[in-house]
Amino acid sequence: MEDDLIEIDVEKKLISASGILNLHIKTSLNFGELVVVFGDSGAGKTTLLRILAGLTEPDRGLIRVGNKVWFDSQASVNLRPQDRNIGFMFQDYALFPNMTVHQNIAFAQKDKDKNYANQLMDKFGLTEFANRKPTKLSGGQKQRVALARTLARKPDFLLLDEPLSALDMNMRTALQDEILKAHQFNKTTTLLVSHDLSEVFRLANKVLKIDQGIVTGKGSPDELFLNDKISGKVQITGTLVRIEKHDTFYLLTVITGTNQVIKVTAFQNDIENLHEGDQVLVFTKAFNPFIRKIKR
Amino acid sequence: MNRINVEITKVYSSDGIVLVDMEAGNCPMSAMLIEASEIPRWIMPGNIISAVFKETEVSLAKEFSGKISLRNKLPCIIEFIERGQIMSVITLRFGEEIIHSAITTRSVDSMELKQNDNVLALIKANEITLMQQ
Repeated sequence: MEDDLIEIDVEKKLISASGILNLHIKTSLNFGELVVVFGDSGAGKTTLLRILAGLTEPDRGLIRVGNKVWFDSQASVNLRPQDRNIGFMFQDYALFPNMTVHQNIAFAQKDKDKNYANQLMDKFGLTEFANRKPTKLSGGQKQRVALARTLARKPDFLLLDEPLSALDMNMRTALQDEILKAHQFNKTTTLLVSHDLSEVFRLANKVLKIDQGIVTGKGSPDELFLNDKISGKVQITGTLVRIEKHDTFYLLTVITGTNQVIKVTAFQNDIENLHEGDQVLVFTKAFNPFIRKIKR
Repeated sequence: MNRINVEITKVYSSDGIVLVDMEAGNCPMSAMLIEASEIPRWIMPGNIISAVFKETEVSLAKEFSGKISLRNKLPCIIEFIERGQIMSVITLRFGEEIIHSAITTRSVDSMELKQNDNVLALIKANEITLMQQ
């Protein structure tokens, strides 16, 4: 057994409006990874997070984190949520309305380390709002408070259940950066539920694909979602936003999953089945791109 | 992009660099790839796949003689020339296939390219991407 491995093998029968789902998640993850749990709604993603958090008890199985057993149905081990050192952020994160930003964060702290609370507020750009109540914050600011609060306990695990699903594109991108920051801040292991492909490519070291309660794929975003039938090693997914004719060729504008604008030349036969709004794959060979440092 | 059918004849691999020899009709072609981990299973001798290359990476030569390091020299006949102010697109017949080359209009003029000319389409091996069909 390895110390930096999270072993999950849990079963639970779920009864929902759409019928019975036999959830059986068997997989292993490495410490420090940012894992995106990807799948259709009703696939069992949220249940998996709740099981890891200790909020939902599996019917049977085992969860082992390093050398620590969190759950073992045979040995009747079931660590309480507060003993698992996790930070859990739901889609409908609830801030305490009667507390200020600072109090919301401090309340979640085990050690009441004032420096750390200030550090978190600084990290998430909340210092100037420290004394505001949540009703005086924008949606994005509230989400940042919720993230900071989740980190206040210094969790080993961040469990994020579609934390950005209610936000518009710009805010999402900004908060994806915050999630990356949060993940790197304490070198946590992060599990994030999403069904947004650009989010997957932006954030994930690893994707856990779940379908009907079962793991149907695990790997890097490239391995799981890119067309591996193309030898080109530089592959970027994006949205085709503009097609312009220039002289004898076309110039296409593509917004990538990381919100960068790139331009690609194309010829008549390329654009015959391309339309503005299409999701596209831009690819080239590893030999072609130039690279240059912009920041150390 | 240009996309033509090829049959893989041989695959050489050394230290993550892969050289794939192919035939398009009777014309030998090569593609150089980086496959650091494992060569995909569809890249193996005998398989029919697509060789893909960009119009702007296709150079043209007329009455060519001498030696050249380029691996891909496709004999073609000019079917059509679309002249632009700066860039022209040449439609070429290569056996059963049609490919396009985008070169400067200045080159079209200096080489006196015209319909039905015999030319060689030249593509570097590292500019060719392979795709499974």
